[in-house]
Amino acid sequence: MNLSRPDRLARLDALAASYVLGTLPGRARARLARVARTDTVVAQTIRGWEQRLAPFADSAPPITPSPQVWRRVALRLGLDVVRRSERGPWWTRVAFWRAAALASFVVAVGLGVSLMRPAQEAAPPIVVVLAGQDARPALIATLARDSRTMTVKTVGGAPVPADKSLELWMLPEGAAPRSLGLVPATGVGTVTLPALPDVALANVPALAVSLEQAGGSPTGAPQGPVLYTGRVEKFY
Amino acid sequence: MAAASQDKSARVAALLSRIAMGDQAAFGEFYELTSAHLYGVAIRILRDPPAAEELLQEAYVNVWHHAGSYEVAKSQPMTWLTSIVRNRCLDQLRRREVQTVTLTPDDDDAADYDLPSDAMTPVEMLVAGAEARSVRDCVETLDAGPKQAIALAFYQGLSHSELAAHLREPLGTVKSWVRRGLERLKNCLDRAGMGRA
Repeated sequence: MNLSRPDRLARLDALAASYVLGTLPGRARARLARVARTDTVVAQTIRGWEQRLAPFADSAPPITPSPQVWRRVALRLGLDVVRRSERGPWWTRVAFWRAAALASFVVAVGLGVSLMRPAQEAAPPIVVVLAGQDARPALIATLARDSRTMTVKTVGGAPVPADKSLELWMLPEGAAPRSLGLVPATGVGTVTLPALPDVALANVPALAVSLEQAGGSPTGAPQGPVLYTGRVEKFY
Repeated sequence: MAAASQDKSARVAALLSRIAMGDQAAFGEFYELTSAHLYGVAIRILRDPPAAEELLQEAYVNVWHHAGSYEVAKSQPMTWLTSIVRNRCLDQLRRREVQTVTLTPDDDDAADYDLPSDAMTPVEMLVAGAEARSVRDCVETLDAGPKQAIALAFYQGLSHSELAAHLREPLGTVKSWVRRGLERLKNCLDRAGMGRA
């Protein structure tokens, strides 16, 4: 179809008008848009109508979209402005995930080295090293593949104030964090997974520890700052 | 064009050229300046807040990547942006129609979505858009039927058959209202020198 031929110009003008107004039906609409990509006369005719109708678009009262829209745009593009203007929860922040990825990489390299040494006992099949921004391990969580009991051992980290608790979270991909319970400020503790690891951790690439009020977050979502994070490494 | 919208236009054009160079602060300001207008356009056509937000999000991601493709010489920046958003909305609506061609056109529950803040009817918007005297005169030359059909199609994305149902007129009547109304607008606007930027 050659819409640019002189005898077709009137027809083209009518098509462009209904394209811009919006009444051109689906197939014809798609076809005209396709032609406009390569045919400058068609593209110009459409632009002419966009300009003619532009004043009418301006007069529609503006409606502010939800703040989510900007957050999602900035998050998707990985903009730094997210870090500055971020008001959402920390686990959605790009900066947080960048830091977590770096920390867990450093830790994984260190762990790899230590695991290569001859071990007295079999290496636990699931290991999560939780580290702060300085990449120094603070807690090590271990778990057998056939057990729901996760052992959490304190190996470093900052002292915990008496009126605060450490709470351990699963960070499922694309979903809100889920609490695994409190972990002790020193020594060894255990938490229980909701299911066997293959199920419970299937969609959980990372764990995190946040600092909460004594007894843990009352809301079921992390309230306090995140102190440590770690990738879930499966050695099987 | 009013001075305020001319200022905004120049501002948006300047921001676009900075965005093309990856300036994030410019992008944030650009969003502040344009998002409510573009969301207003999208929500009226789609009548579905999640879909309109999703579409807006895609449009801004696209602007970030393709701000450099905006050509000052060819159109006003707000016209360019509005056209991008309108086209995406209309593509979505019309594509849906092609896919659900056997369904009745009026059963869409999205059509029940009420715009909370619209005190203006589409026809009032059309007249208000005619800020310049000459444009208003052109709108006023339209008869009531064509004026309403064009306003509903433009602001709310109604198709010919939806217009016919809404206005309770035969499909053929509505089609010719729209066609002749647009022709008349064009002749009038172009004569008044408003058709070319």
